[in-house]
Amino acid sequence: MKAKSILVMLSATIVWFTLSACQLGVNDANQDPNQQSITIFSERHYDTDRVLYDLFEAETGIQVNLVRDGADPLLSRLENEGEDTIADVLLVADAGSLERAKNRDLLLAIESPFLNEHVPQNYRDIDGYWYGVSARARVLVYHPERVDVNALSTYEALIEPAWEGRVVTRSSTNIYNQSLMASFIEVMGDQGARDFASGLVANFAKSPSGNDRAQALSVLSGEADVAIMNTYYIGVMLNSGDATQIEAAASLKLFFPNQGTTGTHVNASAAGVVKHSSNPELATQFIEFLLSETAQRHFTTNNFEYPVNPNVEWDSLLLSWGTFVPQDINLAVLGENNNRAKEIMDQVGWR
Amino acid sequence: MFKRLKVKLNIFTITSILAGLFIIVPLLNILVRIFERPSDVWIHIRTYLLVEYLQNTVILITFVALLSGLLGFFAAFTVTRFEFKGRKTLAWMLILPLAVPSYIMGYVYADMFSFIGIVPRTLRDVGIDIRFNVMTMRSAIIIFVLTLYPYVYMLTRSALNKQNASYIESARLLGASKMKVLWRVVLPLARPALVAGILLVVLETLNDYGLVAFFNIQVFSFAIFNAWFSFGDVVSAIRLSAVLMVIVFVVVFLERAVRGKRRYHLSSKTRPVKRTPLRGYQNIYPFILWGVLVFAFFIPVLYLIYLAQFSRVGFFDLEMIYLIINSLSIALFATALIVIIAVMLANFARGRSSSFKKSWLKITNLGYAIPGAVLAIAVNIFFINTDQILYPIYRLFNPETGRLVLSLSLAMLVFAYVLRFMAIGYNSIEASYDKIGESFTEAAYALRASKLKTLLMVDVPLIKTGLISAAIIVFIDVVKELPLTLILRPADYNTMASKVYEYASDEMLTEASIPALILIFISSLMVFLLTHMKAKGGFTFVRKN
Repeated sequence: MKAKSILVMLSATIVWFTLSACQLGVNDANQDPNQQSITIFSERHYDTDRVLYDLFEAETGIQVNLVRDGADPLLSRLENEGEDTIADVLLVADAGSLERAKNRDLLLAIESPFLNEHVPQNYRDIDGYWYGVSARARVLVYHPERVDVNALSTYEALIEPAWEGRVVTRSSTNIYNQSLMASFIEVMGDQGARDFASGLVANFAKSPSGNDRAQALSVLSGEADVAIMNTYYIGVMLNSGDATQIEAAASLKLFFPNQGTTGTHVNASAAGVVKHSSNPELATQFIEFLLSETAQRHFTTNNFEYPVNPNVEWDSLLLSWGTFVPQDINLAVLGENNNRAKEIMDQVGWR
Repeated sequence: MFKRLKVKLNIFTITSILAGLFIIVPLLNILVRIFERPSDVWIHIRTYLLVEYLQNTVILITFVALLSGLLGFFAAFTVTRFEFKGRKTLAWMLILPLAVPSYIMGYVYADMFSFIGIVPRTLRDVGIDIRFNVMTMRSAIIIFVLTLYPYVYMLTRSALNKQNASYIESARLLGASKMKVLWRVVLPLARPALVAGILLVVLETLNDYGLVAFFNIQVFSFAIFNAWFSFGDVVSAIRLSAVLMVIVFVVVFLERAVRGKRRYHLSSKTRPVKRTPLRGYQNIYPFILWGVLVFAFFIPVLYLIYLAQFSRVGFFDLEMIYLIINSLSIALFATALIVIIAVMLANFARGRSSSFKKSWLKITNLGYAIPGAVLAIAVNIFFINTDQILYPIYRLFNPETGRLVLSLSLAMLVFAYVLRFMAIGYNSIEASYDKIGESFTEAAYALRASKLKTLLMVDVPLIKTGLISAAIIVFIDVVKELPLTLILRPADYNTMASKVYEYASDEMLTEASIPALILIFISSLMVFLLTHMKAKGGFTFVRKN
């Protein structure tokens, strides 16, 4: 009896491990040697992106492998793996992270007339290390019953005493706020950015917690009156399929601050070719695809982001929010000022 | 002098020495880096953040320890000292919250109590307008207590079960009040188990990353992740780890110091305390415990089931099946390894004990005291170094191979699991060995059976129950594990735990509900098996101090 049951257990184990080995091997082994493929390290984990990659596969016959993780872990991984990396393209939700990747010598400069033509200069690296793919504006979201739209003007105005206990935004460990601060260091200088941060902290309705959607809910609930958050999340909430979320998002309004002055802060998802990519040409081709009109339309209609390619019209929802003047800075400064931004936020007690 | 140091070389000794080396080397490897010049990032962290990290961590572990100790002891006391309807069911179900990872409970309650969550919405419908802020330190403490008290409960319950009725009767006869008996006899006798349970809870709390990150509570594990990834500064992360390790050792040391030379022995032949029926206000005790279970288990599970119907990912999607296969196979593999190595270690521990042996065994069990974020750094650096050393060997097999082989594979994650959860497997198995004594094994040796044969034919059948319960607890821990999995998993590899984290951190709790449910279901099944095994003498999961 003993021997029999051991045999059964053993064979079950072998079957199990074969099964799992097959699944693990899906990405690298057992491939047709003529099959071209690229590997994307992506911070963007939207199911809508996968649809786009499938489209690329169908168009070009190049297989797209996707590795999804946070931007910081992906950067650490590229650094650790060095020239042995399997990655070809690095795609992150914040241009600041790509500038940091460039500074850590993880990216390869590419020459692409197509990209230079279709990506506005603000949204790409001067030397061709990375290119913006899709943009989001970091705006003020307010409750129309409690806030008169005429009372809103700029980000800086939120530090006035009138706003005490009425403002929310997420934690300073979040890259979107780090990039917001990094852009302020650029447009208002170190001291200006510091004054803004400490004034904002003084006016917080509560200690930062949760993500952008939670900030919107905070405004809805009356806990706060204004939230600093990305446009994208309002779009996602409006299309969530959950009646309460749709209702919540519909009762809030968006305001593009700093229109007469320095412009609204815009951040972009961006992509670059990995320095030790084994196939930079295919990687470049992939990034060009992301900037094609098809892909750009996909970003705006399915993910409510602003297309970077100026030839592509915005989604109707985005158009309904109105047009706006963005900050006139190169997104590279978001990465350059990132550490400085984190320091200031920690110093003024923005948690 | 060498004679005393000489240890007989056999399979047990070799495994034990290797196991110890595998944990010392990676840890020393990172600890020496504390002596490097402090970077600007470290100066920044020390100036602006360190005090807050310390305060938050101390507040968190103090309250979690106190409250989980209270709840765990109360639960154990109620089910061992009183007789009431449904006692047996309650007794095993009280362990169920162990199946709910604290981060999942955090996501659930944060969602339920958000402004458009089900609770405030329902209250508004009946005209009550209350706003809740769940994402606070206070809620985090409650969530940790609700998910982790079973450790205290399990250990304390088995200690209370073993308590000798005659001590209590003597005390009563000598005129001590019930309260006094509780304080002066029952509690001191249960103290080692209580403390061991609380220590497990504290270590688990320090290890958590999912919940504190979601609630933005800046404690040490959060800080280590932040320094490593956001600032990109491994050395600062290591410095923070060193501070955290000091905290852990201070906690352990304080307990030892307070206990001093007192020892609490239980005589081996015990007459169990008779359970009395509930009287008067005591009738409320079971209700309190059922109430705890409702909040710690039933509400989260029911809410996840409610959410699952809206999920775009189905129960039987290919992706979900892969996730289950991934989680189960890595957990099974790690569990098997841990149990096998733990048996070797336990064999090494038997027989004459020397101080070298004792301290070496302590070292092999160090992993559990080291928070996941720290262990992850150590293992990652260790594997990259190993790969660099082994590179020439890799090239013999495949000239085109990259330099990194092991560190890009699942081996790294499995290795980390083994280091981290070895203590849990070892303590359980060692306790079973203690119970059977050594006469059978010695008899087998005397009959010239080999060590391995004795192990397989004599020891293993004798400690089977202990082995299985060790395996189950380790399995539950591995399946739920988050920080190590997040950092050390290979490209594109997800377990149920990491997927739940990924979805939930992207505000997609609806999508997270299905992997979360499967995870809880599997762990609950394990708890059921654990509690319904025909175990003699109840739990073998005893941590010795």
